[in-house]
Amino acid sequence: MIIGDVPRRADSSQVATQLRVIGALFMRELLTRFGTSRVGFIWLLAEPMFLALMISTMHWASGHGVGNNLPTFLFYAMGYTPFVMFRSIVNRGQNVINANMSLLFHRNITLLDLAIARNLMEAAVCSMIITLFVTVAAVFFDEWPHEPALLFCGLMMSALLAHGLSMLLAALTCFYEPLERFTHPLTYLMMPISATFYMLSMLPSESRDLLLINPLVHVHEMNRWAQFGDRVVPYYSIPYVLCWILGLNLLGMAGLRAARSRITMME
Amino acid sequence: MLELDNVWKSFETKQGMKQVLRGANARIRRGEHVGILGRNGAGKSTLLKIIAGVERPTVGKVRCTMRMSWPLGGSFGIQTSLTGAANARFIARVYGTPVRETEEFVEDFSELGHYFREPVKTYSSGMTSRLMMALSFSVDFDCYLVDETLSTGDARFADKCRAVFDMRRANAGILMVSHNPLHVKKYCNSAAILRNGMLEFYEDVDEAITAYQGL
Repeated sequence: MIIGDVPRRADSSQVATQLRVIGALFMRELLTRFGTSRVGFIWLLAEPMFLALMISTMHWASGHGVGNNLPTFLFYAMGYTPFVMFRSIVNRGQNVINANMSLLFHRNITLLDLAIARNLMEAAVCSMIITLFVTVAAVFFDEWPHEPALLFCGLMMSALLAHGLSMLLAALTCFYEPLERFTHPLTYLMMPISATFYMLSMLPSESRDLLLINPLVHVHEMNRWAQFGDRVVPYYSIPYVLCWILGLNLLGMAGLRAARSRITMME
Repeated sequence: MLELDNVWKSFETKQGMKQVLRGANARIRRGEHVGILGRNGAGKSTLLKIIAGVERPTVGKVRCTMRMSWPLGGSFGIQTSLTGAANARFIARVYGTPVRETEEFVEDFSELGHYFREPVKTYSSGMTSRLMMALSFSVDFDCYLVDETLSTGDARFADKCRAVFDMRRANAGILMVSHNPLHVKKYCNSAAILRNGMLEFYEDVDEAITAYQGL
């Protein structure tokens, strides 16, 4: 090849360019996340399994199950894994700017592209794990999901909620750095108030109403109904969750836009 | 055409606001080779990042109709945990050049041998800058923004970079910032001095160098 001879690029539309950039970032995320070690992947799989196993063992030891003939292990695994997805998207996504500083030297890579690629990757990984759980339950324990499409929607919703929140947190961290330290505790504190290990139908109506402020509660209740059908009595409203998704995502995108001019790039 | 119109840039520091650029103006035409001289801390890199469109000026406007490269220096825009080859594919996807062709071009041009398939963090600084120049030449930019990087490769590689610039002179320019007058003399036809956050242009490189050395 002659050194004056360069690969030429074809003209492409704005949208096509953006999609191509997100694709490139996604590939890179895949390489950096799993190219060097697979421990992260194993942990994502092992942690919810371990936790579900522990709690169902405790239930078994104490001599009573969840009732209504629900499979104890799957009940906890199904409650926890979508929450794991929410938590890891928020925790990883919040760090998106610091982790990708060197990529911002390419002008057609925006903060939104970075956030989408990173969170999409995380959502894909977690969805794979959840699919694995559901498949194992279906094949080995004959627990077929009641409404698979709704379950899929539930996962998408929890990913989109996390995406919006992570963008918002990433942006706010640019304005107030110590916020970074609060994300982990925040996601942990979310766990008991997100209906991961219990159903709203087990609670008195006052606490039920209070918990229903949290959009994740709706998502988890919906997921449970989508999996177990009429053995559970769910409390959820899809429009309410969609409002939260819209709000968080708009705020998150506006935040990233505002944060962009505050970022000083260093190597 | 690239135009800077009264560009100001300030940063928040622990000791209050720091003004780095205070009304820089410039007009650079396609294919021009311009050097910008400035002492350490004069704001050269900041200026380059603003021209590249990756940082926004606090006040003022940047108008640009050319396709600018990213600022070439250090390991800007390179992902050090990935291999040279993975970086080449990444650049191809981000800028929309054909992936295989780009990878071959970069492998060929950078002369990294088997290191091309090793992570960039194992490279020496000379090797990193060879990869950097190869990556940037693999995309048909109209203007290459160079942050003193050409100096780190050995003399033969620097000559090769010059040859590329000479060959593409008709449609590709350079905008180089440096504190070293020799680099500017080697690559540029006109020069400016960045001082007190403002740009002073000189038609003649030697004239600029004399003025710069008199600072």
